[in-house]
Amino acid sequence: MEAKPEKYIISIMVDNEPGVLARVVGLFSGRGYNIESLSVSEVDSDKFLSRVTIVTSGKEIIVNQIKSQLLKLIPVHNLIDITQEKSFVAKELILLKLKNNLKNRKKTLDIANKYNASILIDSNTELIFEMSGTTLEISDFIEKIRPYGIIELTRSGLVSMSLGLDYIKK
Amino acid sequence: MNKKITGAKLLIECLIKEGVKVIFGYPGGAVLPIYDELFKQKKIRHILVRHEQAAVHAAEGYARSTGKTGVVLVTSGPGATNTVTGLTDAMMDSVPVVCITGQVPTHMIGNDAFQEADIVGITRPCTKHNYLVKEVDKLASAIHSAFYIASHGRPGPVLIDIPKDVQTFKTQYLGKNKTKKLTYYSPKTNPQELEIISLVKMIKAARKPIFYVGGGAVNSGIKASKVLFELIEKTGFPCTQTLMGLGAFPTSHKQSLGMLGMHGTYEANLSMYNADLILCVGARFDDRITGKISGFSPNSKKVHIDIDASSFNKSVMVDLCIQGDIEKVLNKTIDLIKKERITFDIRKYQSWWKKINVWRKKDCLSYKKDNKIIKPQYALQRLNELTLKKEPFITTEVGQHQMWAAQYLTFNKPKHWMTSGGLGTMGYGLPAAMGVQIAHPNGLVIDVAGEASILMNIQEMSTLKQYRLPVKVFILNNQYMGMVRQWQELLHGNRLSESYMDSLPDFVKLAESFGATGLRATKPSELDDMILEMIKIKGPVIFDVCVDQTENCFPMIPSGATHNQMLLGPDDKAEDTISEDGMVLV
Repeated sequence: MEAKPEKYIISIMVDNEPGVLARVVGLFSGRGYNIESLSVSEVDSDKFLSRVTIVTSGKEIIVNQIKSQLLKLIPVHNLIDITQEKSFVAKELILLKLKNNLKNRKKTLDIANKYNASILIDSNTELIFEMSGTTLEISDFIEKIRPYGIIELTRSGLVSMSLGLDYIKK
Repeated sequence: MNKKITGAKLLIECLIKEGVKVIFGYPGGAVLPIYDELFKQKKIRHILVRHEQAAVHAAEGYARSTGKTGVVLVTSGPGATNTVTGLTDAMMDSVPVVCITGQVPTHMIGNDAFQEADIVGITRPCTKHNYLVKEVDKLASAIHSAFYIASHGRPGPVLIDIPKDVQTFKTQYLGKNKTKKLTYYSPKTNPQELEIISLVKMIKAARKPIFYVGGGAVNSGIKASKVLFELIEKTGFPCTQTLMGLGAFPTSHKQSLGMLGMHGTYEANLSMYNADLILCVGARFDDRITGKISGFSPNSKKVHIDIDASSFNKSVMVDLCIQGDIEKVLNKTIDLIKKERITFDIRKYQSWWKKINVWRKKDCLSYKKDNKIIKPQYALQRLNELTLKKEPFITTEVGQHQMWAAQYLTFNKPKHWMTSGGLGTMGYGLPAAMGVQIAHPNGLVIDVAGEASILMNIQEMSTLKQYRLPVKVFILNNQYMGMVRQWQELLHGNRLSESYMDSLPDFVKLAESFGATGLRATKPSELDDMILEMIKIKGPVIFDVCVDQTENCFPMIPSGATHNQMLLGPDDKAEDTISEDGMVLV
C-alpha cells in the first residue's frame, strides 16, 4: 500500500491584480497538482498585496516542484511552506445553518457550546452557527451536528501563519 | 511638461526606447491606431507576414539568432489566437518574445464582441507573463516591464493585450527610466560561493566526467559559450550537447561527442550511461534526453546549473543544484580552479577516453551509401561540406530531417541553429528562417525541411518574395511524414496509417509561383552542383531533394528504453527493447 501523501500548507504573497488567482489555480490544474483548499484576500491595501493560502498534498518532490513553479509566477513575491516551519497555527471558519425547532434546540446548543461555536442568527426558522478551529475540530463539529439536520454549510479553507517574529516578507 | 500622446504613439515610442528595429505582424481592426502610428514613423520596420503563427516564429528566429527580443504585433480575436502555437513554442524553448495584441474596446470586453477573444486567459499557461492594459496611464509601464521579463531570468514570451480605446486615449510618456515598473521581478543570476566550492570538488574527484550542455548555455550569451569553451578545454572532459544546445560548444571539436538522447550518438549516450560525473549546463533532463528515468546514468554524481530553479529535481534527482546565469557560474568555477591551481592530468582520464574512443569507433552515424537514390544523410553531408565556410544559419522543421540535420551538420557557433526543440512545431522552420534573414541580411540562411512540415507555413514564401529574403529551403522529400512512418514501422506493424503525403505540390512550380527559384535533384550525382547553384542564387530558393522514401533515423533509443539500449540501424529489432510501458510514451 502506498503511504498517504503528506499535507502541506503553502502561503504566498501576490500582487492583487486581475487574473492572479487564475495564474495560481491554472498552474495547479495544468500541471496536475492537488488543491485541497485555497483562501485568498488582500492583506496590504497600500501595496496591493494579497495573501493566498493553499493546502496541497503529494510527495515531497512534487511539492518542491509546486513551490518553485509558484515562485516563477511573476506576481508572486514570496512563498513560505508553513508546514516546514517549527511551529504554526492553522485555522478555518465555518458557517452552519440548521432548522430551529424546539426538539433539537437544546442538544445542538450544547454541542455548539462544547466546540466554542457562536450563534450568529437565531430566528424563528433557523439557527446559524459560526465557528473557527482546526480542520479536524471543524469536521468533528459537523459530524456531531449532522444528525440534527444541517440545511447548508460553508467553510473558508485554511488560513495559517508560523509562530515567532519572522514573517512572510513582502 | 511632456505633451500628451495617444496610447498607440506611446507604444511606438516605448518600442523605440527598447531598441526595437523590426516588428513581425499582421494588421486588423483592433490594431488600426497602432498601424497608423507605424505608418508615420521610420525607425521601426514592419514585416508583414501571411499568418500570425509565422509572425511569432519569425520573431523567435530573429531573437534566437541575435539574442535580442523579438516583437510581434497582431489584431484581436483570430489574430491573437493564431499566435498561441508560436507563443507555446517560445515558452518551451525559452525565447524572448514580446507579443502585442489588439483587443476590443474596454467597454465591450466580455460581451462576445466581433473578433473578441480572451487572449490573456488563453495564453496564461503559454506565456511567461501577460498583461491586459485597461488604462492608458499604465501602458508604458506594461511595455517596459514586458521587455524586462521576456529577456531576464529564463527568457520567454510576454503578451500585452491593448484594447482599441486605450490605443486612442491620451497620456504622458515620461521615458523609460521614469516609468515605474508594473511588476516586481528579479531573478537570481549569481551563484553562491559554497556551491562553486562543491562543484570544483566534484570536478576534481571525477574520473569519468562529461559535460551535458543545453540551450541555457546558448541563451546565456556569446560570452557564456566562450567561458564554456575555456572550461571544457581546460578540463579536457568530453562534452555532449542537447538539440537546443548545439553550437554552444563547437561540434567539430575533438572533445565533442555530438548530440545525446533519443537520436543522439552512441558515444554520447554510452558516456552518459557510464559516467561518474554529469555536469549539466543549462539543460533540463528532458524526456528525449533521459530515456527511461530509472535507468538514466545510474552511477553518476550529477550537477545541474540552471537559471530556473524549477528545472531542478523535476525528473532526475541531482546531487548539486546551482541556480545562476551560466556565464557567471562558469566564470566563478574557472576562477576557483585557477586559484586552487587544480590541474587536469590527462593520465587521470586516460581509461575514460579509451572507452569513449571505442564507442566512437562504432561510427554510429554511418549508413548504407547508394549511388542511385539520394540518402537524406548524404544530402545533408553534402550541404554541410559545401556551406560550412559560409557559417550558415540553419533552421529546421520537425521530424526525421530535423534529427538528421542535428546529426550530420556541423555547429561551431552558438545562435546559428534554430529548431523547435521543446514543442516540436512543424511549420517552424520557414518563418523562423525569415526572421533570421531579416536580422542577418547578408547571412546564408537555410531551412532544412521535410515536405510535410514545409506545407504547414508555406504561405510565408509570399513574405520572402515581398522583402526579397534569400532564404534557402532545403526539402528532404521522402513523400512521408517520415518520423510518423518510422514509428509506425518500428512500433505499429508497419501499418502506415495516414502518414503518406499524397497529392504533394510540384515544389519547383510552387517556388516559381511565389517568384522564387525551384530546384530538384533525384540523383546523388546532381547534388553538389545544385547545392552550389542554390547558394549562388540571390533570391529565395526551394530545393526539392527527392530522397530515399524508407530511410529511418538512427541511432534511436526507443521510448521507455535506456541509453545502453540503442538501436543502431535497421538490423536492430525494436521489439527487443520496447516494453509495453514504453509503447504508451511519445
